[in-house]
Amino acid sequence: MSTAPRPATDRYDVIVAGAGLAGSLVAKQLGDQGWRVLVLEAGTRTLDTWPGTLDAMNTYYAALAKVPNAPYRPNAAAPSPDVIDVQGLPEGGFRSNGYFVQNGALPYSSDYLRATGGSALHWMGLVPRMQPEDFTVRSAYGYGRDWPIGYADLESHYRTAERMMGAAGDAAEQAEAAGTPYPTGYVYPMHPVPPTYLDRVLAARLDGKPVREAPGAEETVLRVVTTPAARNSTPNEQYDAGRGHRPDGAAGLPNYGERCVGNSSCVPICPVQAKYNPLKTQTTWSHRVTLVTHAVVSRVLANGNGHVYGVEYQQYDDPAAPVHTTRTAEADIVVLAAHSIENARLLLASGLANSSDQVGRNLMDHPTLLTWGLLDHPVGPFRGPGSTSGMENFRTGPARRDRAPFRIEIANWGWTWSAGSPGSDVARLLGMGGGSAQPRGKGLFGPRLREELGRHVGRQFTLQFAMEQDAESRNRVTLDPAHRDRLGNLRPVITYDLSDRVKRGIAAAKDVSDQIFGLIGAEDHTSYAPGPFSAGWFRFEGRDFVFQGAGHGAGTHVMGDDPATSVVDQWQRTWDHPTLYAVGCGSMPSMGTANPSLTMAAMTLRSCEQIHRDLTELHRPRTLRSAPALQVAVAIPQQEGQS
Amino acid sequence: MTEPTVRREPPFRVPRDRADLHLFLQAALALEHLTIPPYLTAMYTLRPGTNRHAFYAIRGVVLEEMLHMTLVANLLNAVGGTPCVADPRFVTGYPALLPFSKEKVPIALRHFSVEALETFLYIERPDYVAEPPGHPSVADDDGWTSIGQFYNTIREGLVRLADELGERELFCGDPALQVGPRDFYNSGGEVLTVTDLDSALLALRVITEEGEGVSGTVFDSDDTLFGEAREPAHYFRFDEIRRQRSYGPLDTPATGPTGPAVDVRWGDAYPIDPAAKAAHYPPGSGVRLAADRFNEAYALLLCLLERAFTGEPAALQGAIPAMLELRDLAEQLYRNPHPDPARRAQGLYASPTYEVTTRHFDRARVAMPTP
Repeated sequence: MSTAPRPATDRYDVIVAGAGLAGSLVAKQLGDQGWRVLVLEAGTRTLDTWPGTLDAMNTYYAALAKVPNAPYRPNAAAPSPDVIDVQGLPEGGFRSNGYFVQNGALPYSSDYLRATGGSALHWMGLVPRMQPEDFTVRSAYGYGRDWPIGYADLESHYRTAERMMGAAGDAAEQAEAAGTPYPTGYVYPMHPVPPTYLDRVLAARLDGKPVREAPGAEETVLRVVTTPAARNSTPNEQYDAGRGHRPDGAAGLPNYGERCVGNSSCVPICPVQAKYNPLKTQTTWSHRVTLVTHAVVSRVLANGNGHVYGVEYQQYDDPAAPVHTTRTAEADIVVLAAHSIENARLLLASGLANSSDQVGRNLMDHPTLLTWGLLDHPVGPFRGPGSTSGMENFRTGPARRDRAPFRIEIANWGWTWSAGSPGSDVARLLGMGGGSAQPRGKGLFGPRLREELGRHVGRQFTLQFAMEQDAESRNRVTLDPAHRDRLGNLRPVITYDLSDRVKRGIAAAKDVSDQIFGLIGAEDHTSYAPGPFSAGWFRFEGRDFVFQGAGHGAGTHVMGDDPATSVVDQWQRTWDHPTLYAVGCGSMPSMGTANPSLTMAAMTLRSCEQIHRDLTELHRPRTLRSAPALQVAVAIPQQEGQS
Repeated sequence: MTEPTVRREPPFRVPRDRADLHLFLQAALALEHLTIPPYLTAMYTLRPGTNRHAFYAIRGVVLEEMLHMTLVANLLNAVGGTPCVADPRFVTGYPALLPFSKEKVPIALRHFSVEALETFLYIERPDYVAEPPGHPSVADDDGWTSIGQFYNTIREGLVRLADELGERELFCGDPALQVGPRDFYNSGGEVLTVTDLDSALLALRVITEEGEGVSGTVFDSDDTLFGEAREPAHYFRFDEIRRQRSYGPLDTPATGPTGPAVDVRWGDAYPIDPAAKAAHYPPGSGVRLAADRFNEAYALLLCLLERAFTGEPAALQGAIPAMLELRDLAEQLYRNPHPDPARRAQGLYASPTYEVTTRHFDRARVAMPTP
């Protein structure tokens, strides 16, 4: 720590906006290194006690739509977008309500959560690494944007993130099937979460089977492999040179959640907290970290030279009452870690970091195509985490020049995402299928209802095809003074569409899905028609599709090696303001097909090293240029004396 | 395991040879198991969603009792014995008497209530612990006075035999039989493998200190032994429920709990007949069938445990779905009013009876998942 005199309060070494995954890691690393960190969280901190978690679980159980934000109570002061804000229209097109204002050709139908813990409270917890060629898509495949750094720059940080988040996986299998290199002998902290019965059924029918995404295309041999997950599984005794790993249990309840017990509600809430969430990191924060919740950062403060010296924030008391007190806090370094869209919104609202005109642009997600069907026998859906295995065949390769690559997730939660199961199945069997305006048909009741449900629901499975979306400057977040939230902050205005290369990826995924369904002998129930639950409907080359948002917003403060064309440098430090960082998926120039949280964590940990260097530099004792200065000081009176 | 050791009473003396030690450790295994059905009964008679503090407290204790069972099995394997749990004689009939204790206190299957908590407090109480038999302060005809004395006696026997036979000779068991941290465990403490005297004594320390606490404090030693969160020992967690107030960080057994109030609602539980037997339910009735299925599911759990303790530690993972099945079957029973009109009139509900017979074990062995 510096020995320089410091004001006692409201002045910190670092201010972090956002207590989600990225912000919690920044506070952890810098607090442990002795820096005084203020974390400002716009939302509440209900979840960091066990009764708070139980309240969220009750809210989830009672919710009609089991969407990712269902367990978390609405907050008028710090509103969050919700996937059900977007509604499809009968003839195609969509209507958007809620926090986002949308004016794009297609909806951005992903959400995030503004609360302590952030969106990582409702993430699925999958932590595959990005593949090395994902960092050079422009130079290698001619689309999107290249990163200024590569896989090798992040590799050690991937390992640190895997330790801090408690990852379970099989490194050898990933290296072989997904082409992600690891240091020799590396093992994950925990063994992979065991594959589900569904995984094993699919593996038995698919492993070794060749498929082609189109007639004449190159053949690829399918292989079902386990997916790394930040989920407590069996610790690997070989980890860390034989020191092993101790799983981190639930935040707020001692000795709980040290193993996944197979609830399939990872999204929206793990009832035992076996899944990593940032609250676990927060319990290990140093005492130098101060968390202030109910504190909406409204503006980043800069002086006339563009020197960022703090933030202005709005402190409110009651999440239901839109009244607040405006406060400021100062620090040597300000780190925005509030989600890619919120980071962009804050930069735009502050009029900062945008000399490249790239703030808010390049908005990306993993547009996801779902296909669903019934297998020939019960396969035990709704047991085990949301997804335990997938297929890595289509994540890269020459086809990437023409169409978006994709990753295939095998979903263990039946038709939950694709068709609202099991609630929708109960409604249909009760005769309530035809919409509320139509008379109710004859339904099944009692044992017959149960048997029929068991027969049907037990055979459900879904495949999730997550597309890489290329960075396009037209997909963007802007602000419009006409659209404000209850505290007067500008709401994100989103313009979003899918490029033809993403649509070609979606079409290829559907063709692959058809072949997979053939190989496993599944009855296909996939249907893509416009309607209220199909906001992502579009027609492409004569075929109908519906895509979903994956909740993986990225790209809005893009990283690059040129201040003229990017917002942040390789350390996620804004080019325009050396004391302002914007961390998170917003910095990603391309996303590959890996779920992005692990890469975000690795990037953030790498940035922490630079922030530490910056702070050390700022606090280095200065040597006054004593000799020449003294001469001048002495010389002047002499001159005066002579005159 | 030969027939007599399953339930044979250990003699009132320090174990003097390996066979003696096996007898003591098998008795310890049964003792650790004895508490599980009463604790499960209190936990599952809670009306779902109510009394959450009590639910998580009892749940934590039950899991740690399961840990203690596993640690005793590791001890027994380490000294060349063979744990036996999948046997009708292993499951005590309830109400049972707490062994190795001076007072004859019946341990019944009671719903969540003051009486149940008082029984639990009796089981876990930190008490003056007499020296092992043979000590000048203990007369030959005193008999066992506490569970603590019983475990002290095992400890003394281990130390003496390690000295007489040599440590390596005493701990001659196959290390592959040890259940370790790689196998499923999900609560306080840690499954540690027993391979020598140090690990054996540590295992005994976990068993006694998680229950009664470190002498003079209300807390267990999970923090110092495993770097985990420190929690009140079992006795004091039960005491928090009974007295509806939690222990603060500076509280001691002498101060009693002075922390925040604990919300306990005795009425939010299904009252049951502590003397219930499956035979009280009419043959062929749904409740009778459910009670029978419960006993079979419990037999299956014990079969899985025996498999895990006798050569296939990974089988422990199968205990998770088995426990979920038990929970569902138990809750189904507790939600049904007792079929007997007189008991129903008293507001009593049906309950699992933990009468696990040879017939249940036979059926469970058929239903066992293939390794």
